[in-house]
Amino acid sequence: MAFISAGYDPKHPMQDRITDIGPRKYDEFYPPVIAKNKGKWLYHEIIEPGMLMHKAESGDEVYTVRAGTARLCSVTYIREICDIADKYCGGHVRWTTRNNVEFMVEDLETAKALKEDLNNRKFDGGSHKFPVGGTGAGITNIVHTQGWVHCHTPATDASGTVKVVMDDLFEEFGAHNMPAPIRISMACCLNMCGAVHCSDIAILGYHRKPPIIDHEYLDNLCEIPLAVAACPMGAIRPSKHEMPDGKTVKSVAIKNERCMFCGNCYTMCPSLPLSDKEGDGLVIMAGGKISNRISNPKFSKVVVAFIPNEPPRWPTLSKVIRQIVDAYRTDARKYERLGAWAERIGWERFFEKCGLEFSEHLIDDFRDPAYYTWRQTTNFKW
Amino acid sequence: MATVEFQGISFDIDEDGFLQRFEDWCPEWVEYVKESEGIKDLTDEHQKVLDFLQDYYKKNGIAPMVRILSKVTGFKLKHIYELFPSGPGKGACKMAGLPKPTGCV
Repeated sequence: MAFISAGYDPKHPMQDRITDIGPRKYDEFYPPVIAKNKGKWLYHEIIEPGMLMHKAESGDEVYTVRAGTARLCSVTYIREICDIADKYCGGHVRWTTRNNVEFMVEDLETAKALKEDLNNRKFDGGSHKFPVGGTGAGITNIVHTQGWVHCHTPATDASGTVKVVMDDLFEEFGAHNMPAPIRISMACCLNMCGAVHCSDIAILGYHRKPPIIDHEYLDNLCEIPLAVAACPMGAIRPSKHEMPDGKTVKSVAIKNERCMFCGNCYTMCPSLPLSDKEGDGLVIMAGGKISNRISNPKFSKVVVAFIPNEPPRWPTLSKVIRQIVDAYRTDARKYERLGAWAERIGWERFFEKCGLEFSEHLIDDFRDPAYYTWRQTTNFKW
Repeated sequence: MATVEFQGISFDIDEDGFLQRFEDWCPEWVEYVKESEGIKDLTDEHQKVLDFLQDYYKKNGIAPMVRILSKVTGFKLKHIYELFPSGPGKGACKMAGLPKPTGCV
């Protein structure tokens, strides 16, 4: 397409430049009923999966219909959301912190009609466009990352793995069958963008091979001290390397037996790539949460050391997640989050009930705090 | 990797316009880059920033942190942005021939 200027003049880049105006103020986009009753809500109810009702002091009601989205979406899709919002909600719509979309209306009949409309919209392949659900003690959307769509450090794909897991757990999105909400998150490397470190179940991209060192370019492309300092294990040191042509270049050396494949050095230095088709895969963590309800927030713990990457459907991944979800649903008490359940029955029982193998990889060996994760008591179950 | 030709000198650059080798830097490089970085005329202040970045890189093997750049040159961050509209990383480091900033940028 031919170039079409937006009015920006590259000869005078700073002319008519608008900066530091921040985002639009949130209350510009309030539906009237929200603007009117802001700060005056009395109580709420979950009418049915995916549908909430909030009652205000004035007696006003607002009905919220929540629907799942893929997070990664086209403008066409957003326009369809706008069309729905125009038709039912006076042009108002909002997104949740787990990338669901919420439509708000003022009476129950419209909410029911809206829910039916949303559930009937499908893509050509047959997938729901706006499956309604995500409320209460069910499984809501998966917080995830970029994966092979856009990032350069991933060990797996985000959109693909998330689609697989949500397909497998789809009926739980539109139902309240769990003892408490299950939050599933996904990150495609252990930078852990998002919520994997604090989710009930977490899927994490993982490498199993040390970086390849591109000696020829390393000193030109990298700030060597940064690559050295990026290593949590002190496995990297500066060194000189003799090239085949006899020239000596500045580079780094990596002690492979100290490397645990975190990929931090590649983040800092483009000459240390480590992604590998067979080596890379997934780690499953479980038992984290961020709320303060009953127990304090928890980090999730590693429960499966490795699952291979199996695009496009990652069958082992969805099988393992299903095992954990089913064991939790049958065994946990009401209001008990997955981590609270595992801590109450003991992690040895967690592994038994979920049918997961316990391997040496799951035993913490990172610095002094590892000691506190070992069992310093005789209290355990056979 | 692309090669650009400017005043009879050729430079190897990456897709973001950073020099591939610090040793390839020469004053002509600054002349070549300044237009794409929104800089009309090179002042002594520009030169002071570039000189410091190069000295620091030669001595330490890394680009200085922004606070060090400010403290040594005496230019507040605001002033550095006035000199280099794209900022100390994309603007000044690129002109000084330093490697491209890495990490979650």
